[in-house]
This record gives sequence, structure tokens and C-alpha cells, in this order.
Amino acid sequence: MKRKQWLTVYLVFIGGMVLLGDTPGKETKILDSLLPREIKGWKAVEKDQFYNPHNIFDYIDGAGEVYRSYNFKELLVRRFTRKGKPDIVADFFKMGSSRDAFGVFTHDLEGEDVEIGQDSTYNAGLLSFWKGLFFISIYAEEETDETKEVVLSLGRFAALAIKEEGEKPDLLDLLPPEYVDKKSIHYFHNHMILNYHFFVSDENIFFLDQKTEAVLGTGFEKGEEYKLLLIRYPDTKKAAKAYRSFIEAYMPDAIEQGLVQTEDKRWTAAGVIGDKIIIIFNALSDISAKGMLKKLESKG
Amino acid sequence: MKKRVITRRDFLRTAAVSTIAGAFSFPDGLGAMQGKLKKSKAVLIRDKDALDDTGHHNPEVIQRMLDEAVTVLLEKSDPVEAWKVLINPSDIVGIKSNVWGYLPTGGVVEQALKRSVMDAGVREENISIDDWGVLRDSVFKNATALINARPARTHHWSGMGGCIKNYIMFVPDPSKWHGDSCADLAKIWYLPHVKGRTKLNILLMLTPLFHGIGPHHFSKRYVWAYKGILVSRDPVAVDATGVRILQAKRREFFGEERPLQPPAKHIFLAETRHHLGVSNPERIELIKLGWKEDILI
Repeated sequence: MKRKQWLTVYLVFIGGMVLLGDTPGKETKILDSLLPREIKGWKAVEKDQFYNPHNIFDYIDGAGEVYRSYNFKELLVRRFTRKGKPDIVADFFKMGSSRDAFGVFTHDLEGEDVEIGQDSTYNAGLLSFWKGLFFISIYAEEETDETKEVVLSLGRFAALAIKEEGEKPDLLDLLPPEYVDKKSIHYFHNHMILNYHFFVSDENIFFLDQKTEAVLGTGFEKGEEYKLLLIRYPDTKKAAKAYRSFIEAYMPDAIEQGLVQTEDKRWTAAGVIGDKIIIIFNALSDISAKGMLKKLESKG
Repeated sequence: MKKRVITRRDFLRTAAVSTIAGAFSFPDGLGAMQGKLKKSKAVLIRDKDALDDTGHHNPEVIQRMLDEAVTVLLEKSDPVEAWKVLINPSDIVGIKSNVWGYLPTGGVVEQALKRSVMDAGVREENISIDDWGVLRDSVFKNATALINARPARTHHWSGMGGCIKNYIMFVPDPSKWHGDSCADLAKIWYLPHVKGRTKLNILLMLTPLFHGIGPHHFSKRYVWAYKGILVSRDPVAVDATGVRILQAKRREFFGEERPLQPPAKHIFLAETRHHLGVSNPERIELIKLGWKEDILI
């Protein structure tokens, strides 16, 4: 192996060791630049902690899969304590792209918008928001009026400290606002996340992976809910293959190409256009399913 | 033979995406139905004094609840006699606990179980309590009997963290079992170092978590003092009963059907696909003891 390659291996190893340990390094500096060490009497007494996609489960139980599925790079954790008060924990997920920072934010949309960062929610002591390359969760172990104020203050501090905003996935532009509730949209890559939000199949019949991009949104027709799924593949060949796979598994009894009435008397319509496939689930009628599909195809 | 793909439509066909159970059961013909006629027995015991004024487990009451539950479950006249049905004095016993920081099994329950095992004649050095270290612990490595005890909670990836899922630490690579919402967790129970060793499953319903948020899937807002313990020799039966209680609480709290997300299908697949036990409430004999207020089931 050439000397340069050995050097690369060494640097990756050292980098890994720094991330696995709690040695103050560049990550602490990043945290210091984004968060104060003290706020309203709460202090960061413990050492900051750092995790990577390999050891995330040491810190977060099953939900670690979510962050891995969004290609997170580093997790930086700072715990704030104040005697006699609940702890407050700040989790900073540094993602590989702003699209993924947005995406992981859309995984859990429960809560009120508190206008922090580029999008935010607050619920039961938990503030979540994204900005730039970061998805941030700040959590009070017990919610009180006082901890809520501290959590929100920390969030505002961090949002201000992250200088650059990030772009949302351009796939969102293809969703007609009249068809989908904007606050219902989940952006993701893989099969596990799709099934978390809306079970389609136990097998990965769409061939979703880290290179595919998908949005799932909810719309309403006469008060009844339907789902709209849009997936973009790296090339048209892959999109065509996934479309055929879906048709074969999901609608072998299609009454016409890409249209079927399902067992609950609702309608599912599917189409492929270039590198994208579009599916409307649970439409009230064949006409509305086809109408929505046509509108989306015209945008694609 | 090409594997049959299961789609949403299969569930629509059998109306099995159940908003009533908030859970999951496989359509007829897809899951094997070998266990159809099997029955299981579980005991739910509650005591309004199970927690002290600060919300901590009350040691005396917890011991009494466990003693009574095991005695009734095994139809014996006293707890020592009942534990002797489960455990031999020569057994090497691993008590599989759960150390999850927000809602652990806890020392009170662990020690109550250890005391009961010792009362059955097992020497202290032949008992170990562990969670993450079970694959390295010398007692667990040689265990002839396992006692499985953990709190019930909703779980971000598997729908529910219960007795079946508690054995995920018996594999060296737990994350490899996360596929399809942890659908096949029951397989772990058939691994050579686990199979046939579990003598009792204790699903703690003392302060269950019925909804989760954020990376840690926890908020105190969604924990309630149910003050119950579920006990059975069948891990599927305690988990399936626990799911029903969690779902009932969610219905009460949110004022609408709010199915678990994702559905806890590993519990139902544990019966239909892996034949580990019984998930169908119609085939679970549930004996309810103690405090009945707000029992939800």
C-alpha cells in the first residue's frame, strides 16, 4: 500500500477514535459554537458525547435506524443540569446534506410550530428543528414552564448560530399544494421509513435505497384521507423496473394499466414518468385517482 | 419457490390492519396456523400502593404482587411452592432485566425476583441479573433457566418493547434484527443458548409508556401509573395483553383511535409465523387480581 493510502487509513482510524470517545476535540468546538455552556442556571457539567452511525445504538435505542437511514454523519450531545431541576439534553445531528436534515425532521411532525430554524415542532418538552446541515432535538426530561423556556431559548441560540440555511429537496416542488397537506409531508430514502409511515409491502418492491428520494404526503377528499407517494430514481431504467415490480405485486388485477380498486373500495393509481414513479393510494374514485395522477405527471 | 410478497392489500382483504387492537395480525393463509388451538394463561395483578409517593416502586408491595401472581399462575398454595415448579435448586439462573435509562426494570423488581429464585433453593452465586452483558456474563452463558422481566413501552422501531423484544441482547448484532419493524424477533428465542430456558415472563405495567416522541422516544407526559404486573410462562401472551392495555390508554388519552406506529407486528408474528406462543386474546386466559380501577382491559 502506498504511503498516502496508509496515511488515509490512519486518519480515518484516528477520526473514528475521536468520535467514539469523549475527548474534547473539533466536535466540542462545534458544540461550543452552537450552544452556550450555561443558560438560565442550567450548566453543561458533564463532558459532551459524540456518536457516529456505527455506535449510535449505544445512545439511542431502535430509533437509531432513523438517523442512519438519513445518512447522518455525527451526533453531538450536550447535557445541561441544574440542581433540583430536570436535565435538558441537546442532540445535534450533523447530516450529510440539508435535504437529509429536512428529511429527518419530517420523520416526526407531532407538535406546534414554534418558528425556530427552518422548520420546527415543540411537543411535551421536546423541541425539534432543522437548519442547514443540522437536525436538532432539545429535550427537557420533565416539562415545566421554566424548562420549556430554557429549551426554546437554547433552540433560538443554536438556530441563530447556524449561519447557513439549507435547501429543501426539489422533489417537494412537484407536489401540488392543493393535493397534499404541506405539514404532512415525509421525505425519505428507504423502504423501512416508507413502511413506518405507510405500510405498502413487507418486501422492498420499490427497490428503495439510499440513492432514491421519496416523498409521502397526505391529502383529503370530502374529509377522507388519501396518500400520495412520489419516488425519484437515479435513472429512468431503475424507475421503470420499480414501476413494473409494484404493478406486479400490488395490482395484478388492475382494471387498466396502473389502476385498481382495492378491497376497501378505494382506488390506487400508479404511473411512471422518466426517472420518477407516482402513486395515489386510497382515492375515493377512479376519476379522482386518475385526475391527480395526470396532474402530477404533467409536473414531472 | 418465489417468496410471496405481502402487501397492504392483504390486510385490507382481511380487515386485519386493526384499529381496534392497534396492532397487527396476519391474514389467514399467510401465517401458519399451527398454534390455532393452543391456549395460554396470564395473570394481571394491580395494587394501588405499588408506587410510593415519589413514584418509585414500593418493595414490599412489588414482592407481594409477584408472589401472588406466580402462585395463582401456577395454581399453588404459596409462592415458594410455585417457584419450585419453575426452578430447580441446581439451576443456574439468569434474570434478564432491562436497563433503558428512562424506564428500567429497576432494582426493586430485580431483587424481588432474585429473592424468589433463592427461596426456590438456588444458590446466590448461581444467579445473575443482566441486560447488555448477557453474552459475556458467565452465569448467563451457563444458564439452565431464564427469568425475563422488563417494563412495557411503545417502541419507535418495533411498535412495542415487551418480553419478546427483551431478548434482543442475546444476539451479538441486535441492529440486524431491526428489519421490517423487528418482525422476526421471536426467532431469537429459538437460538441454542436461549431455546427452552425461559421459565417466566414478567411484563411490568407499573408505569408504562404509551406514546413516544423524539430521538429517545420518551416523554414523562406519556407515562402513567397503571400499577400493574403481567406474568405468564408465554412471552407472546404477556406482550399481546400489554399491547391491548397500551392501545386502550392511547384511545383514552388522545380521544380517538391512535394505532401504535409502527404496529407491534412482531408480537403477532411470534404466534403466526414462529409459533412461540399465543397472541390472540380469545385464547389467552387472563386472570385479573387486585385493584380494578381504570384497568382498561
